[in-house]
Amino acid sequence: MVEQPKTGDDLAIQTFNLSRTFNGLVAVDGIELNIRKGELFALLGPNGAGKTTTINMLCCLLKPSKGTAQIMGYDILKQPYKVKEIIGVSPQETAISEHLNSQENINLIGKIHGTSSLELRIRSQQLLETMGLTGRVRDQVRKFSGGMKRRLNIVMALIHNPEILFLDEPTLGLDPQARRAIWEYIIQLKGKKTILLTTHYMDEADFLADRIGIIDEGKIVALGTSSELKANMRERNTMIVSAGNFTQKLVDEMRERYAEVSLNADTMLITDSQLDFREIVDHLQSAGAIVRSAHIKEPTLEDVFLHLTGKELRE
Amino acid sequence: MRVWELCKRNLKETYRDPLGMGFLLGFPLVFMLLFGAIFSGDNTANFPIGVIDEDHTLLSQAFVNEALAKVSVLKVTRYDDIDTARKDLRFGELDAYIVIPPGFGQQVSQNWQGGKADITLEMTYDESNIQISEQLISIINAVARAFARIEIPLTINANPIHIETKITYVDFIGPGIIIFGLLILIPTAARTVVRDKEKGFLARLLTTPTRPVDFILGYSLYLVVITIAQIIIFMVIAWLLGMNIVGSLWLAFLIFFLTGLCSVGLGMVVASLSKTEQQAEPLCWLISMPLAMLSGCWFSIQMMPSYLRSFANAFPYAHAIDASRGVLIRGVGLEAINSDFLFLIGWTVAIFAIGIILFRRSMRS
Repeated sequence: MVEQPKTGDDLAIQTFNLSRTFNGLVAVDGIELNIRKGELFALLGPNGAGKTTTINMLCCLLKPSKGTAQIMGYDILKQPYKVKEIIGVSPQETAISEHLNSQENINLIGKIHGTSSLELRIRSQQLLETMGLTGRVRDQVRKFSGGMKRRLNIVMALIHNPEILFLDEPTLGLDPQARRAIWEYIIQLKGKKTILLTTHYMDEADFLADRIGIIDEGKIVALGTSSELKANMRERNTMIVSAGNFTQKLVDEMRERYAEVSLNADTMLITDSQLDFREIVDHLQSAGAIVRSAHIKEPTLEDVFLHLTGKELRE
Repeated sequence: MRVWELCKRNLKETYRDPLGMGFLLGFPLVFMLLFGAIFSGDNTANFPIGVIDEDHTLLSQAFVNEALAKVSVLKVTRYDDIDTARKDLRFGELDAYIVIPPGFGQQVSQNWQGGKADITLEMTYDESNIQISEQLISIINAVARAFARIEIPLTINANPIHIETKITYVDFIGPGIIIFGLLILIPTAARTVVRDKEKGFLARLLTTPTRPVDFILGYSLYLVVITIAQIIIFMVIAWLLGMNIVGSLWLAFLIFFLTGLCSVGLGMVVASLSKTEQQAEPLCWLISMPLAMLSGCWFSIQMMPSYLRSFANAFPYAHAIDASRGVLIRGVGLEAINSDFLFLIGWTVAIFAIGIILFRRSMRS
């Protein structure tokens, strides 16, 4: 085994002003990230935000135009082969040999990393079980469903027992059930590996990540745990009331009391830093409105993103 | 180790894909069979030639009846005077006529007895059909040399060597056809790599400690297996079609093998330069078609203007055709073709070096 370099602290991934331009177009713009060992970090952002470019630079597939990064203390520019030895990558395209079966695909990557046959047998058995792929080991991969391919993709990234795992959009294009299944498998890896995951599904980041970095136009616009990010939004609670008999007078009155009020047919949206559910319902009813339903909406990462960038986080 | 794993993976990908496999092995098969069918017509009368015997000796008659008339591709007609023969040539009845000068028999027999001899044959041919006359010259030349056991000035040939007199058109064009088949390995090689590039499989391999050299060699080793299989198919069918192999089969195989490697190397260069199959495909044809035209497999490069000939000679294919014709038809050994042979080896090494450099550059953009 190679000697461990001095890291100074417990950081697994450290980027320094990491930037990349393509023909003058800025894809990644001075990203500074510190990801701790054993952490599951999600890079959340819309398509084209610079997520894959960032991962590709960290995996030594792309050269940064400016800045650099360290993976377990190894510099991606100066020691790319050291980096490649300790990372596992599950790319966005399911990069699998279609005419090979899952065992052969796994063995190929394992042997390239110099994993011994015995270790390969034991680990692949374990991983295939964890990822629920034991059933069709002998089948050629081209017959697999999209979800199975994605899971195999992750197994292939893990076979050589890497210290750091990169998952680039691990559930892209899958139906909710298949996504859920992959989440369950990823959850099992939490704490055992340092994982950097990219996604444009906010529920995925919300469900899986210890910390989330929101990325837009190549810049990290917000960073923190899911609840930290949402806490910033507590200032902007929204109550949704569905009722009949809204009068213009009542609407005007509400607009005077609260920061934002909008009415769309029978639905009123009330936004303010402080909202008292009881008080609002009582007030509306006493004014003659027939309230059918009312609820206060918890802020989602979607709202956080919208608030920060003025854009919707959609495909 | 990594090289072998990659090669194994590529071989599996191929033999489990009937369509891909069909192309790799079916192409040379169909190609050669088609070639065989085209030239399998009665090859007794491919070249009508006239002979005017002004010598009237037993030897000159033997030359006409025993040597020239026995060549299956020649249809020999005797003429009494040059004017009639010239008329027939002009009307397209003949491709060429040969005048056997007085004293021919005497000179030949002097030569046989070890004396000095000064023999000439005068050939007049239809210049409008360059390809036919080119081949005709070499056939007559070969027949005359075999008969007289000495160089007979028709065209220039420095090596008085053994010639199979039963030379057929298949013999002549066969090596060129095989070289053309091997040129098609350029797109085959490029496609193999670029397909994996496009599907992201290459990117995945590049996130492992696989080095550019491992990569190029891993894919090349697989393509070497394909190349060998294709050459075997080419040569077996050529043999079944009745191509006479006079020289060393192994030497011919080695020439074809080196040619195949050059194509694989060129394919790797194309693959390093393109990102998608859509980019690679036209680039391959842009390279392989002109190279085929300049190789001499369709047209003799001797007929080209000198600047084009030098250009053609900068690539391995013209050398490969020269060398393989030398071995297969004239039966020469390594010593006669060593410059072509060294050129092929040099080219193979150079193109792979370029491939690896370009690949290294393209892998971290």
